Amino acid sequence: MTVLDRMRLDDRVAIVTGAGRGLGRAMALAFADAGANVVCAARTLEQIEDTATEVRARGGRALAIPTDVTDVAQVNAMVERTVAEFGRIDVLIGNAGGRTKADNRPLHEIDDADWRHGIDTNLTSIVSSVRAVVPHMLRQGRGKILINASGLGLRGNRNLNMYCAGKAAAINLTRSLALTYGPQGIQVNALATGLFFQTEAAAARWSGGLYIPVGRSGSSWEIGPLALYLCSDAASGVNGAAVLIDGGGLAGGVAPVGFAPRIPLPGGSA
Amino acid sequence: MTPDADADARTPAPEQPQRMFDLGGRTALVVGAGRPLGGAIALALAEAGADVAVAGLTAIEGEKFQVASAANQIWALGRRNMVLEMAATDAAGVATGVQRVDDAWGRIDVLVNAQDLVFAMPLDQTGLSDWEKTVAGNLTSVFLTCQAAGRVMLRGGYGRVINVVSLPGERGVANMAAYAAAKGGVLALTRTLAIEWAKTGVTANAVLLGWYEEQAGIADNPEYVAALTKMLPSRSLVKGDDAAALCVMLAADSGYMTGTTFTLDGAATSRI
Repeated sequence: MTVLDRMRLDDRVAIVTGAGRGLGRAMALAFADAGANVVCAARTLEQIEDTATEVRARGGRALAIPTDVTDVAQVNAMVERTVAEFGRIDVLIGNAGGRTKADNRPLHEIDDADWRHGIDTNLTSIVSSVRAVVPHMLRQGRGKILINASGLGLRGNRNLNMYCAGKAAAINLTRSLALTYGPQGIQVNALATGLFFQTEAAAARWSGGLYIPVGRSGSSWEIGPLALYLCSDAASGVNGAAVLIDGGGLAGGVAPVGFAPRIPLPGGSA
Repeated sequence: MTPDADADARTPAPEQPQRMFDLGGRTALVVGAGRPLGGAIALALAEAGADVAVAGLTAIEGEKFQVASAANQIWALGRRNMVLEMAATDAAGVATGVQRVDDAWGRIDVLVNAQDLVFAMPLDQTGLSDWEKTVAGNLTSVFLTCQAAGRVMLRGGYGRVINVVSLPGERGVANMAAYAAAKGGVLALTRTLAIEWAKTGVTANAVLLGWYEEQAGIADNPEYVAALTKMLPSRSLVKGDDAAALCVMLAADSGYMTGTTFTLDGAATSRI
């Protein structure tokens, strides 16, 4: 068996939340390319139907299940339907999350409802999803959980208090879940994603990555191979990791992009 | 720096390849291929389609055999291969080795530094020459290969540097000061290269590898293995093959991952 065989997901069943667009859609398609069947969950039926159609075009089976991940009953129902249809769950991608303009304000302007909704969307949604799939993974004796956090889970950002706190919690949740379920063959990892834009236009509006060391934002498809690797048998030793894919943002950040001083040693080089 | 003033610094996005993890047409240089870890990485890169040059300490009989064996396996896969008889701590040797690859293949797309010279001794019993040998084997060698192969990569506008380090580079382990300082140095070197070369098409990432089955000095001591595996949820050390698959993924990455320390440790660093 070559290394490429070990990075396939033939006949595995993957649930992807937030599969209607962006990184979730890209991960769903990468898994389909690797032979997986994919359950596409998100609020907007039209978008997940479209992702499911693309999965089928790649030869996989697909289900589009409209799901609001902040509603525990809907999450449970989505997982039950997955098991009813496919009989198993090998991979959970906890990808749904996000923030609104209302979240981008100083903390003293955020009311309880804003805060709770943000934390429900970015943290509690992951708790609900993991809790629903884990019994099935324990029964199978194996499973992969990949949580899409953010570089903002490892650093702070002005005004994005809820998002930074929620994503940081998701990353540390990843570590404790890794230790909790690792002995039973379930690996839990997180992605610390940097800036990805879904369209060229969106990238241009935001000035397109000038403040990212590599000089661009990410394209959604670039997450595919990384997510696939992490959810494959080849990564059975990777557990509790938070993997950066952010154009070098978190490797630097203490000097402006382009800052490159030249300071000879006192007395010069030998 | 306003967006307008720096608008032409924007880097174009890469094109999505037809197949994931495909290294067909790429060339790689694997340092430390005289040990099982580097050998596994070299073979995996070849399985993914790369032509691979393997470098090891061929003056040592065991390493000479391992390097030759890796080259044979790469050949058997139908890829081009090359054996570089160089000590990565020797600047002239590294320069000559890299030149040979460049002369023969005209490019170096992937550099993996998998050399691992384990040394553990209380600090007050660590001689200056122990320190210097440990730092040379684990850190200076990475500087030399990154510089020499990096020049070829910068010329071509494409490169994937992958530096493999181990847990003492990130966490304290008694008696491993020289080794840890060197491994931690590699992490800092890698992050710096990622930023310095950020807009050149050359990326640099580190693999923070847990205690692994083929690690000299550690894995051949049952007492150490028992103590270390007790901490891990999987109750087993990671394997060279695990690192090899990760290196293939990183070698085939589209370029948005850079400056990353990718932890492959069976959750060792997740716990207190």
